[in-house]
Amino acid sequence: MSLPDFQRNYFQLFDLPVDYALDLVQLGTRYRQLQRELHPDRYAGASAHEQRLAVQYSALINEAYATLRKPLPRALYLLELAGMSRENIAGQQIDGGFLMAQMELREKLESMEGLIAPESVLDHLVTEISEDITVLQRQFSQAYSVGDLSPAASTCVKMQYLDKLLQEAEQIESRLLDR
Amino acid sequence: MALLHIAEPGQSPLPHQVKRAVGIDLGTTNSLVATVRGGRSAVLPDESGEVMLPSVVNYTHAGTPLVGAGALALAAQHPADTLMSVKRFMGRGSKDALSDAQRSHYRLAAGDEGLVRFITGSGELSPVEVSADILRILRQRAVATLGGEIDGAVITVPAYFDEAQRQATKDAATLAGLRVLRLLNEPTAAAVAYGLDSSEQGVIAVYDLGGGTFDISILRLHKGVFEVLATGGDTALGGDDLDAALADWVLQQSGAPVLAAGQYRQLQAAARAAKERLSTELAVAVDLTGVLPSGGSIRVTRETFESLVRPLVKRTLRSCRRCLRDAQLEAGIDNIVMVGGSTRIPLVREAVAEFFQRAPLIDIDPDQVVALGAAIQADILVGNRPEGDLLLLDVIPLSLGIETMGGLVEKIVPRNTTIPVSRAQEFTTFKDGQTALALHIVQGEREMVSDCRSLAHFELRGIPPMVAGAARIRVTFQVDADGLLNVAAREEITGAQASVTVKPSFGLSDDQITSMLQASFSHAVEDKLARQLAEQRLAAWQLLEGLKSALAADGDALLNVEERGVIAAQMTGLQALLDGTDADAIRLQTERLGRQSETFATRRMDRSIREALAGVALDALDDEVMQ
Repeated sequence: MSLPDFQRNYFQLFDLPVDYALDLVQLGTRYRQLQRELHPDRYAGASAHEQRLAVQYSALINEAYATLRKPLPRALYLLELAGMSRENIAGQQIDGGFLMAQMELREKLESMEGLIAPESVLDHLVTEISEDITVLQRQFSQAYSVGDLSPAASTCVKMQYLDKLLQEAEQIESRLLDR
Repeated sequence: MALLHIAEPGQSPLPHQVKRAVGIDLGTTNSLVATVRGGRSAVLPDESGEVMLPSVVNYTHAGTPLVGAGALALAAQHPADTLMSVKRFMGRGSKDALSDAQRSHYRLAAGDEGLVRFITGSGELSPVEVSADILRILRQRAVATLGGEIDGAVITVPAYFDEAQRQATKDAATLAGLRVLRLLNEPTAAAVAYGLDSSEQGVIAVYDLGGGTFDISILRLHKGVFEVLATGGDTALGGDDLDAALADWVLQQSGAPVLAAGQYRQLQAAARAAKERLSTELAVAVDLTGVLPSGGSIRVTRETFESLVRPLVKRTLRSCRRCLRDAQLEAGIDNIVMVGGSTRIPLVREAVAEFFQRAPLIDIDPDQVVALGAAIQADILVGNRPEGDLLLLDVIPLSLGIETMGGLVEKIVPRNTTIPVSRAQEFTTFKDGQTALALHIVQGEREMVSDCRSLAHFELRGIPPMVAGAARIRVTFQVDADGLLNVAAREEITGAQASVTVKPSFGLSDDQITSMLQASFSHAVEDKLARQLAEQRLAAWQLLEGLKSALAADGDALLNVEERGVIAAQMTGLQALLDGTDADAIRLQTERLGRQSETFATRRMDRSIREALAGVALDALDDEVMQ
């Protein structure tokens, strides 16, 4: 059988301009509109072939939506569209100052479970990381808009670091809730 | 001159034939069946007017399983032959089901392949077969009420059910002779039941405390599209546990020694009755005459009961908190839907209201709401509402991953990803000259394979010998709209391929199902051949009808004369065969026509995308006006 052949990129799929700045309301509206047409539930009485196609189209739309909806995957996708490979992005130089700050944050996180009242400390830390991410998003947007791909890629790598920290913070939070 | 028939694009000009579709809530304690009639969803009662069928089956006498209230009445007398709460055993390995089985006083067979099998008066039975016996009764009830065979059913499952549990549920329905349109998550079904006549937009939390499981889901409703944002829960916490907590307390108060199986069953039933009465009364007496040797009665206040179950209610709120975080909401919850009989308990309602800072919705009977929602979805899927006024976008409840070096899990599809989904990841070989790669698929949130649920093992062979790290093996996970998984692996350089539909080792194989189906059909009066012919005719008819309306709508635009001629010829051929009785010929011609029309189908899908986007402009305008 034929696979869904999308020459269009994810932005074109939703009929949106290829840009980091994105109208999320519009994205959501178009996402739902496409799923209304192509979700497998619309083909429950159709032939097996049409049902398989619907699963593939619908999965692709879900993937495109998940990629564009969140800032970090959207930024990475833009770099990919601009011709940067994953290896190329991962190999970007990161300044020593950032790495030092990283290690400090990580140490703070790791010592969290020994504290008597860790919740407020953790909250504070999460806010701090989130603010850093917002700053990086702005930096990415500026670099990308003038075509400075290499600095744009290095802000992406930094965002990946911080994203990972946030995930770890969430895991610690859920362990704290459970005890 | 004849008048022209004008039909809406995509709609058949033929008079609309209403199909019989049902929604089934296959519950731990009770099961229900519902259908949409005259535009309204309603549960179907049995001859005596009861809508709830206790999910209990008695197998004391070989050959005639007794299902429902009659079986429940035999529970104390024949504890090991009377299977209750089998939903707890669906899709589970005998090792992890052991403690549950001991508590229920079931005898488990020393299962092959880790399969749970109960030893009963009618021989060894799997949870799938027991569930099929329950579903068969509901199917018979629906057939009798609706006056004909059921065209399709939507069966509900807890959102938190893993792959194995879903597959087992689908197998049970197939075994009961039902055509499964979709497995639907219970909380989503409940939201649908409420969603149709409540506000058009907003965020809904569904708190579902069932007999054996707890589920929490958070959904966004937007113009008929239900988007599940996050789901969570606890597969081993439910109303049964509340009963057990009270029963254990009563036992402790009475000072009675360890009870026999039948006595414990009676005590549990007494505890359940007391629990239900405590929702409206402040104190009740649990009558122990005939339950305990000592007899007498023990007084329980609502306060005591609340202190006993408070830790369990707290556990549900922990799941709620995690789910809320997963949903990443900007604003609060607009509505809370309550599902399951245990949500009648005042303490539960208060705790939920306090947690979400909002009074929960209780207008629809919490025992019926899931079946009612499932019936609405069944009505849509079977094609009774051509304009399909709602769409459900569900998620997978648990992350799917693959075992990598050192027993670690590499997550490929994280939990709460919207389905259907297709994700690929590349792996490589770690030894020079390695020609095969074993893949182990797991489900769960933990980092170690040993802490996750093992779903399947399969092997990719025929990798050409290369240095370590040179091969590029692409593993694709595809989860369909039922939440069922398909995995394919492919070596990119040589094209070597392997794939599995994940059938957990403790489920039933297709062969087993086929043989069971044949066994059950041979008991049935209906002639197997006649059935096959009827099925083939139906499939052919559906394809022809679908194609006719598709051709009427898009035939001119999407096909050239030659292509259209080929399809038309094959259609005429199939139409002619329909008058005959050759089931095989009908099947072959249906398949041929299906293949011939694949290109047309693909073009129609592409066109749908373009049209969907063209429609967006107007829709976006609506949004702006509304804001």
